[in-house]
Amino acid sequence: MIEIRNLSVTYARAAGGEVRAVRGLSLTLNKGELCALAGESGSGKSSALMAMPGLLPAGTKVEGEILLDGVDLLAMSEDALNRLRWRRIAIVPQGAMNSFTPVITVGRHVEEVLRVHLGLTGRAARERMDGLFTSAGLDGTYAGRYPHELSGGEKQRAAIALALACDPDWLLCDEPTTALDVVTQKGIIDELKGLVGSRGLGMLLVSHDLPLAASACTRLLIMKDGELVEEGAPAEIVARPRSEHSSELVNALLRLEREGAP
Amino acid sequence: MTVLMRRWSFWCLMILASLAVFGGELFDSPPGHPVASPFCKPLWLSRDQPPTIELRLTTEEPELSLDWRYSPPSGLSIVVEDSTGDTGRFVEIARPGETPIHLAPLRGGFRADGRDIAFKRSLGLPPFKDASASLFAAHGEYRLSVTGTEGFEGAVVIRLEGGRWGLLGTDQRGRDVAALFTAGVRVSLIVGLFAALLATFLGTSLGLAAGYIGGWVDSILMRLVDLLLSIPLLPVLMALAALWGKGLWQLVLILSVFSWMGTARTVRSLALSLRDAPYIEGLRGLGAPAGYILRRHLLPETFPVLLATMTLGVPGAILSEAGLSFLGLSDPRVISWGRMLHGAHSFGAFTAGAWWLLLPPGLGISLLCLAFLDVGKFLEERVDPRLREART
Amino acid sequence: MSYWARRASGAALVLMMVLALNFLLFRMMPGDPVASVMDPDFSPEAKEQLRRMYGLDRPLPAQFLLYVKSTLSFDFGVSFMTGRPVIDELRSRVPNTAALLGSSLLLSAVIGTWLGMKAALRRGSLLERCVLWSGALSFSFPSFFLQLMLLMLFASMLPLFPLRGTLSVPPPDGFAALALDYAHHMALPVISLTLLGFGGWAIYVRNLAVKVLGEDFILLARARGLPARNILLGHVFRTMLPTLLTLLLLSLPGIVSGAVITETVFSLHGVGRFLLEAVTGHDYPAAGAAFFLLSLFTVACNLLADLLYPVTDPRVRLERSAR
Repeated sequence: MIEIRNLSVTYARAAGGEVRAVRGLSLTLNKGELCALAGESGSGKSSALMAMPGLLPAGTKVEGEILLDGVDLLAMSEDALNRLRWRRIAIVPQGAMNSFTPVITVGRHVEEVLRVHLGLTGRAARERMDGLFTSAGLDGTYAGRYPHELSGGEKQRAAIALALACDPDWLLCDEPTTALDVVTQKGIIDELKGLVGSRGLGMLLVSHDLPLAASACTRLLIMKDGELVEEGAPAEIVARPRSEHSSELVNALLRLEREGAP
Repeated sequence: MTVLMRRWSFWCLMILASLAVFGGELFDSPPGHPVASPFCKPLWLSRDQPPTIELRLTTEEPELSLDWRYSPPSGLSIVVEDSTGDTGRFVEIARPGETPIHLAPLRGGFRADGRDIAFKRSLGLPPFKDASASLFAAHGEYRLSVTGTEGFEGAVVIRLEGGRWGLLGTDQRGRDVAALFTAGVRVSLIVGLFAALLATFLGTSLGLAAGYIGGWVDSILMRLVDLLLSIPLLPVLMALAALWGKGLWQLVLILSVFSWMGTARTVRSLALSLRDAPYIEGLRGLGAPAGYILRRHLLPETFPVLLATMTLGVPGAILSEAGLSFLGLSDPRVISWGRMLHGAHSFGAFTAGAWWLLLPPGLGISLLCLAFLDVGKFLEERVDPRLREART
Repeated sequence: MSYWARRASGAALVLMMVLALNFLLFRMMPGDPVASVMDPDFSPEAKEQLRRMYGLDRPLPAQFLLYVKSTLSFDFGVSFMTGRPVIDELRSRVPNTAALLGSSLLLSAVIGTWLGMKAALRRGSLLERCVLWSGALSFSFPSFFLQLMLLMLFASMLPLFPLRGTLSVPPPDGFAALALDYAHHMALPVISLTLLGFGGWAIYVRNLAVKVLGEDFILLARARGLPARNILLGHVFRTMLPTLLTLLLLSLPGIVSGAVITETVFSLHGVGRFLLEAVTGHDYPAAGAAFFLLSLFTVACNLLADLLYPVTDPRVRLERSAR
């Protein structure tokens, strides 16, 4: 279980001054559950996600606790965190991000992680890699390709394969479907949902696309201006939004649906 | 402006520029004239070495004393500047603890040098040592005087050549290094500024043309830029100096021909980005001719960048001129810092250990270039704030 | 394939232009070209050789073709100054210049890259400020000044190194002693060039590394729990490699100027000093040969840089083969 208690993230601005991205956030993530964290841009959801594996920029003020099975991640040393990264918590980054090192093949990325974390080399590594690509919906040829040769959807799937390399307990997905077409989006979401079911992972899906988040998850959380304003089952929230912000969102959603209904 | 004034480089440049403009006033004789024996050390070094001293005995001041605490001078010369004939008087020298002896007759036009054998014999000095070595062997107070002053107009100039002179010593030809240094600032500044100016002018025109007109003009110009960038500068400069003459203005011209590329690229990208700006398109739509748009609108936009790039281009020009002069490929009549180093190298200054010949011009070049670089970086950061952020 | 054909033909064009320029240069002299070259003091052999080489009695296009043919076959004629074939003069000097430039470039690149990476990792530290300053100095310090100072300090005042030359006169016996003597003579020149060069590299590498370190894929490499050394070498440096390699190759022609000055200061038996003597002595065959070799070298470095870039940067490969 991951428990976030009273998390605050404050960035230092280059020109001086501070920006509070996350204020007093508290939430719980459970294994075997796909939790979605939705909100507008700037609501602090990506910052909350990046805080967990300790990947916020140097100089960022982080307060509060993030407990992974009772151990505070924020109090850990960089070395200890490094041992956790990818083995317990893995990230599926935004497709728009340049998430792969452009000069090495996709396969090399996976091999590197397998070697460093699991000590796998040679045939054992290759076999595992093939398995990973398959479970992400890609065939074996992708290992020898360079990142710039892949389409958006292929890159996203490769990122998922890479994230699963060390069999993590937790998958943190930051806007995994942004900049993809609707069909590919559905494919990715189905993939992710399937992984939760088949591997018993705990998944946090961050997205600014509320309908997508609502359809994918079993528990929906909504953030606004760094604070958690809504939490519950998606159907519940749509039917009975408790905060002002979420009711606005829901109303906008419903209006869209109504107007678009045949 | 005030921010600029807080930088050391600004003041450094102001000082050097003033030196260039007013420096000539500081010295009595033109820098190219020898003032003392070669390779004199600066006055503030080696206090036991004799300085070069010039004494004038006149009617008003017929007697001068000298407290001699050094090793003997290396040369002696006596010149009587007087139009009258033989006055029957004498120039006397009183060595410490001894009675005065006659040194020279007070006769107009009389000249004697410490190496003249006749002169030495007339004083009873050993013929093969320089007179000054024999005369000034002891430490103590020496007195030089003129016996009586009636009928004496003019002056007796007694000159003792020593191993020390001036603020920065002398070079291999006995010229005052401080004077040479001051003259050198002028050349470096002129070459640097003019070459950078010309290069900026060239680069701006070509860059604007390439960026705004585009098409084949652009491709040709960019190929030219690539070509010129890959040619190493010094060999070309060498060839042109040997063939075309070693004049300063030829150098400035060639330097600018080989340094306009950077400016052209910057201006070109600026022109490219502005070409499609709405107000420019509007002007085009209204029928404004390209020349008008370029002159009245695009060109003023480039000024901040141009100032920065021009300032940054000065050190390169200064170093190229210095390098060429050092190799001996510049006008020998023009005193420049590079030429000073050429002299130092060719005439074995470093074997004589004459570091005071090397340091001033070398440090001068470095300081000037660093100052321009600093100001240029400052200007660049003012224009493009992104660079400032990258610096923090 | 057509991409390479285009680059190669471009290079050939440049070389042709250089040859034409070389050929025309001494014909551009005021007055009769023959007279400007035919110094009455020249030996009859030199005059005859000159006549033969430039075919001065034949029509101009024929002369040019003859010149091109002989240059491309590296027959540069006989030097006016020494009377020996230019190719022999060059043969004895090229290794020295190559050793000087090669070792100093390598040392500057290695030291500069190491310092630049360290500075990029420790932003705002004293090291970074030193790196930035050393970079500024390397752009403002006249090379000959540093070299003269080094000579004075370590060869004159403290006689640790020889004052001039590539080898002692007479050179010592035995390979080991010879090699040591060579190294002893080349030490100050190489040290001076390295000192002058590492600053520029350090600044360039620092700026490049700062840029790469800010990229998303480096953050994600950290997210994958990779140790810092793996990230630095396998991801940061590996991404910088194509650019650095290109920089290395493209800076080669530039440091030829360094060779001219360095060899003059230290009186080394190299191509740079040869070029200077040829130019000041109006030794046209020698100067022409040196300039031609220099252009060949420049063109080759540029071509090589282009060739090697796709080898290290896969992003470029696809585009190239698609042309």
